[in-house]
Amino acid sequence: MASKRIQKELQDLQKDPPTSCSAGPAGDDLFHWQATIMGPSDSPYAGGVFFVNIMFPPDYPFKPPKVTFQTKVYHPNVNSQGSICLDILKDQWSPALTISKVLLSICSLLTDPNPDDPLVPEIAHIYKTDRRRYEETAREWTRKYAMG
Amino acid sequence: MSDDSEEFRSGSEDEEMSDYGASDADMDVEDDDDDYGFAGAEEVSTVPKVPYKVLPKEDLNKQREKALREVMDVLGIDEDTAMRVLRKYKWDSSRVQEEWFSKYDQVRESLGLVDEPGPSGRAACEAEERCFICFDSFPVRDMRSAACRHYFCKDCWRGYITQALSSGPACLDLRCPSTECKQKACVPCALVMELASGEEQSKYSTYMVRSFVEDNSSMCWCTGKNCENAIQCLVDRGPDEAMDVICSCSATFCFNCKEEAHRPVSCKTVKTWLTKNSAESENMNWILANTKPCPKCSRPIEKNQGCMHMTCSQCRFEFCWLCQGDWKEHGERTGGFYACNRFETAKKKGEYDDESRRRENAKASLERYMHYFERFDAHSKAREKARLDASKVSKDWLEQLADITKTPTSQLKFINEAWNQIVECRRMLKWTYAYGYYAFEDADRNSEVARHKGFFEFLQGDAERSLERLHEAAEKDLGAHVTKARNQADGGFDADAFQTFRKNLIGLTDVTAGFFDKLVKQLEKGFSSMEADYAGQVDDGAGPSGVNEGGEQAAGAAGGPAATGTTGHKGRRSKKARGVDEDVVLLGEQGFWTCNKCTYNNQDLTARRCEVCNEARAGPGGGAGNRR
Repeated sequence: MASKRIQKELQDLQKDPPTSCSAGPAGDDLFHWQATIMGPSDSPYAGGVFFVNIMFPPDYPFKPPKVTFQTKVYHPNVNSQGSICLDILKDQWSPALTISKVLLSICSLLTDPNPDDPLVPEIAHIYKTDRRRYEETAREWTRKYAMG
Repeated sequence: MSDDSEEFRSGSEDEEMSDYGASDADMDVEDDDDDYGFAGAEEVSTVPKVPYKVLPKEDLNKQREKALREVMDVLGIDEDTAMRVLRKYKWDSSRVQEEWFSKYDQVRESLGLVDEPGPSGRAACEAEERCFICFDSFPVRDMRSAACRHYFCKDCWRGYITQALSSGPACLDLRCPSTECKQKACVPCALVMELASGEEQSKYSTYMVRSFVEDNSSMCWCTGKNCENAIQCLVDRGPDEAMDVICSCSATFCFNCKEEAHRPVSCKTVKTWLTKNSAESENMNWILANTKPCPKCSRPIEKNQGCMHMTCSQCRFEFCWLCQGDWKEHGERTGGFYACNRFETAKKKGEYDDESRRRENAKASLERYMHYFERFDAHSKAREKARLDASKVSKDWLEQLADITKTPTSQLKFINEAWNQIVECRRMLKWTYAYGYYAFEDADRNSEVARHKGFFEFLQGDAERSLERLHEAAEKDLGAHVTKARNQADGGFDADAFQTFRKNLIGLTDVTAGFFDKLVKQLEKGFSSMEADYAGQVDDGAGPSGVNEGGEQAAGAAGGPAATGTTGHKGRRSKKARGVDEDVVLLGEQGFWTCNKCTYNNQDLTARRCEVCNEARAGPGGGAGNRR
């Protein structure tokens, strides 16, 4: 079931690739993908290319995939290990969701952080109190880690 | 435990139900022997109102069905929907009705109840649709959907349901997996049952049954090992109000905090006490009391032997244990190498520093805690032992005794009752130590608290002494009788001695119950009104006939349900107003009044004359003489 569904998702992605992201198996293992997300232009991450690691559980799609950033991101909902705090990757997961929808959700998370449910409280605090500083640091990190 | 305590029976007293603790039920001594048969009083004592009900599996299902049926009938909805609303409102059917009729749309929306659109035509059934989980296409008739008509294939539904079922009771509120489903339609129970495997079906049903207990604020599971009974609370309980419960499996626990039954102590005290017993905090106190920090590196050091010359094992700093000064400064002029005059003079001058004082305090507090904990622990262990003994007695000895004494086992019930009383009292006694630890912390500083403490210890001492006597009689004397009887199996059984023992044991059981009742009531009431109450009692005792002492002894010696009769009642009201009615209430605690002339125990509490000798009843003071 899982591999069939992953295969189908892959076909759909190749047929109709979403804007600003791409995804596919990292190697021979169909259950391990790598994806890239382009930093949204209306965010301090603009211009950066962010690598994302995707691991499918054996009971996918009934359990959510494990999605982590490989590129360092300065974001209230992404920690230094690259873990992402996103409801649809946890209790709000639905088998009707797909990797392409997940990646789009991550894109919109980059544009609109959720500082009220932070993974890194320090960044959330700066985001809430000193937006300029947050944007500067995020741009700085993007330049440093997500470009070139 | 007496058999009837597991059943709820509606008695006739109109006292508040919450006044009847579970332990009362257990403590009730049922005496069906003629010698002690105060028939009337007995009825009072053995028909307590118990504020809860033990529900075995079958009864639980019946109750659940009844609750469901009621909501289905009143709201005109199907069982599945009824389950959902009931779960949402914690099985409070009156709340369900209120919310359902006042906020119909809101309630339905929150539950994901969607109106089924008109039946889809035949053509639609033949059509193929894509399953948005596996992305394959299937004819619609082979697909399933919730009321929202988001179709998925059966395999994907199965996967979805399996996943949900494996993650716990939350699966009862399963919603449509479609991300397009704005209403978040609930997945009907029928669909789950259709597609789940046999094992999963039973799991789902179990969750549904469990919900009736676990989501229900007036229900809880029995905490006993392998016990499947549920306990239903039948009264309104305040939040965090303790309620002792005895399940038919003989497990006793508190309905509120699920810890072991702990009346008369509050759940909060129990929690703090148990945390204290297990927590590292006591270790901390030990360290404070028995160690000093190294003056240089501050590591705690325990002085376990030798002289005052210390060397820190960590930083090798050498110092004096007494003054904690550098050892280099010590020598002949400070009183020799093995003493420290600096310390002595500083102590005399009152320069005994804060740290030392804190250590002293910690030591004192540790000693205080140890005092209470040792006793708490001792009673706890004694109770466990008594429990084992009690079951041994009722299993092995009772039959033998019945053989030897040639009496039916029902006549030997008093032995079981004595043992049950012991187990129950050990439990109560142990918790009174937790109570004492917290309630009288200020006794050294506050004379009122000290007085309360004195009174508490007096009551506790009475109860404890009485219990020890009872325990000894039940353990040693009974053992002696059994051994003796065994040795003289040829019929040389000393029936008289056994009768004496029997009377003694029954008497002790009742006296002990009385003492404990007094203690428990005082604790539950608190000690703030103690002075006023006490004044009232002294007043009563000085009543015209002055039989207070004698009456108490008589009740103790005669035994019978007199003493236990009080356990069912909790009518200790303010004794300032002493009208006739008030007196009746007070007498009611005992269930009878004693004639001053012929000593007959009249059960008609309102009678003005003795039933037997027709002597006029003495004034309130005389009647009150029997009160305990």
